Amino acid sequence: MDAKTIKPEEKALKIVGTRPVRPDGVPKVTGLAQYGSDFSLPGMLWGAILRSPHAHARIRSIDTSRAQALPGVKAVITCADFPEQKYEFIGPERVAVNFWHMTRNIMAREKVLYEGHAVAAVAAVNRIVAEEALKLIAVDYELLPHVIDVDAAMQPDAPLLFEDMITRGIEPAPNKPSNISKRIEFRIGDPEAGFAAADEIVEMSFKTAPVHQGYIEPHGCLARFDTDGQGEIWSSSQGHFVVRAFTARLLDMNIGDLLVHPAEIGGGFGGKTVIYVEPVAAALSRKTGHPVKIVMSREDVFKATGPTSGASMTVKIGVKKDGRIVAADGLFKFQAGAFPGSPVMNATMCGFAPYNIANVRSVGYDVVCNRPKSAAYRAPGSPISAFAVESVMDVVAARIGMDPLKFRLLNAARTGTPTAWGPKHAHGGYAETVQALLDHPAYKVALGKNQGRGVASGFWFNNGGESSATVHVHEDGTVVVATGSMDVGGSRASMAIMAAETLGIEYDAVRAIVADTASIGYTHVTGGSRVTFATGIAVVEACNKVIEELCARAAMIWDVKRDEVMWEDGHAKFAGTRAGKFEPLSLRAIAAKRAVTGGPIGAEASVNAGGAAPGFATELCDVEVDPETGSVKILRFIVAQDVGRAIHRSYVEGQMQGGVVQGIGWALNEEYIYDGEGHLLNAGFLDYRVPVASDLPMIEAVIVEVPNANHPFGAKGAGEVNIVPTMAAVANAINNAVGRRLTELPMSPPKVLAALDSGS
Amino acid sequence: MAQAPARVVLISSLSGHYTGGAKEFEIAAKTLYDVIRALEERYPGLGEHLEEETSVAIDGEIHEVGYYQQLRPGCEIFFIPKIEGG
Repeated sequence: MDAKTIKPEEKALKIVGTRPVRPDGVPKVTGLAQYGSDFSLPGMLWGAILRSPHAHARIRSIDTSRAQALPGVKAVITCADFPEQKYEFIGPERVAVNFWHMTRNIMAREKVLYEGHAVAAVAAVNRIVAEEALKLIAVDYELLPHVIDVDAAMQPDAPLLFEDMITRGIEPAPNKPSNISKRIEFRIGDPEAGFAAADEIVEMSFKTAPVHQGYIEPHGCLARFDTDGQGEIWSSSQGHFVVRAFTARLLDMNIGDLLVHPAEIGGGFGGKTVIYVEPVAAALSRKTGHPVKIVMSREDVFKATGPTSGASMTVKIGVKKDGRIVAADGLFKFQAGAFPGSPVMNATMCGFAPYNIANVRSVGYDVVCNRPKSAAYRAPGSPISAFAVESVMDVVAARIGMDPLKFRLLNAARTGTPTAWGPKHAHGGYAETVQALLDHPAYKVALGKNQGRGVASGFWFNNGGESSATVHVHEDGTVVVATGSMDVGGSRASMAIMAAETLGIEYDAVRAIVADTASIGYTHVTGGSRVTFATGIAVVEACNKVIEELCARAAMIWDVKRDEVMWEDGHAKFAGTRAGKFEPLSLRAIAAKRAVTGGPIGAEASVNAGGAAPGFATELCDVEVDPETGSVKILRFIVAQDVGRAIHRSYVEGQMQGGVVQGIGWALNEEYIYDGEGHLLNAGFLDYRVPVASDLPMIEAVIVEVPNANHPFGAKGAGEVNIVPTMAAVANAINNAVGRRLTELPMSPPKVLAALDSGS
Repeated sequence: MAQAPARVVLISSLSGHYTGGAKEFEIAAKTLYDVIRALEERYPGLGEHLEEETSVAIDGEIHEVGYYQQLRPGCEIFFIPKIEGG
């Protein structure tokens, strides 16, 4: 996996960009790592949640008396045990938290809105009694018609999930309720004039299926409440500060009264940036006075936690004969699930972002339907719109007879190119990913019968934001780095690398940990590919404060002025005119004299990191289609991604490979299958098929490094954009192999066979 | 000589609620706090909306909204929707 390094002279780094052993490896392979469901306390009860068997129904009444009378049952709760929340959208538009919605997703109130919606919960002496008690809870439902598909949900006569929901983002506001929560539009230039000037126009419609993040570890937590109102939670999440904030709000607590401990996490991919079981376990604990543990089953995970949206989309691109794109138009309709908040805004912003197009309109609709509420999934929204845009790009390139990579390169967005949402791109990196594949020998390898090659590109913002870190020097010269970032994708290794590089010490001398919510400053979720960038800046700032302190201690030891001491290669060095008189002092030597020079040496840094640079990826996929079965075999897959600077190369490659694998599953296999009553029929990994190793070739990761000057080592973020182009790359390869353009995901064998048989 | 004002653009579709649809402004400012205060003075409630619900692109570089952000003369400021990732 050769790196395509843009500025090799900047690689005068000793540890950044290497592949040291991961610090969390041993406990994970020996089974000693503690995940959300591994924690227990004396006197602990088990919680279980009753879930709706119906896709849409009004709750007339809930009778818990028989369950409460069952020996071993300590408490039964319903929505009545959670305070009502004000109806208001708070925070970023993409997620726009509305606690009125959130409390109803945690525990249904007036209605159940999807099969699997929580209705009541029990705490009992063991899991068997808790499950038995659920059967004794009588819920009187009034069944209501339901709607699953996004286009059907937008029809005027569709069953309404909320009888008073008026679409936001339309002026004047509609006078009738609908399932459309929000309309958004971004526009630059004059799209109509752009299309009028085009020599060729391609317009196509697409559908994608909702897919689950597919993390191995189900949601689980342990909660404990004291009689003084103080509580603790141990849970797997992508952000224990967010678990604290949401849970405290839903239980009407002070944030400071709730302590959340981060557990190891068995995958999240965005799906663990929200909460499900934590407030339920906490409410049961508060009611019983005992610790309560809840662990979801796999069926619960599929039926009640967020997949990403399914979508219905139409994309139109106009191009001149010379290959320049002159106009683009996108209509993106996204399923939000049972409550508003799909990632459609991201989709409208990301779809055309890799390209320099003067005239763009991008419209999105956020639509509720009777499925579990969608949650973030790896570059939320962007892979969905990219499937449509990058498929049309392929058709356009063929129409004008251009190589699809050269077509993309010709139209590539660069620094200074305006985006569809207004600002100019402040960072490049896209063209370099395209060039990396153009230069790759695999692009020229000939293919055989029923084999085809596809390429596609993608954009993701990458985020910054609030992060905190502390660095403490031990008396033997080793260092502990604590951050508030849950380690989902190797952040402990990357934080240790950046600390070691900054301090000038060995990687093995640094131990990186994740601190609980009472032991470190606020840190936003591990999501948005933000941690290496934002938390990395906090770590480096804390290290620089420590270096300042180490230099001051060395000055004291030498009895010289502070400004006569410099830090280099892990040593304090005398920089004054008497150089040579003082032997350099190592970090260890200074640490050994910490008491006599002033006490413990450490520092904390908290940042609100701005200047995150977006990620671009371009991918190449070779497939072979079996005309007898419709099965698609992936022969070769190469992902070229600009990561700014790879801090730990193996972890970065792993992120790139993982994103592609998830995208291949999304492309070929994964979907939710419902019966006519809105029941999910494939709520398990036997029937919801994610790719396994034997389905795949080695995914080749080509690391492109166009450094971000706003990060001490140039990092941009590596976790998400790799999934963005994948479905389109596979679709383009299938089309190249058999001459059939598939526009609906998943491109499973029956669909491929149908396309082959229809000749369409 | 007066400093060139910043060009300020509101992209968030909900921002128009406060401004009656106006989206583009020229504001003399040295920090982002100056911009927020100026907009709040013209459109009460808008400042808090921008602080809570938007990010800001200053000459294309995306930041969370912060009072402390320094502005160069004639810079371009876009208040854009916040992005949450996975």
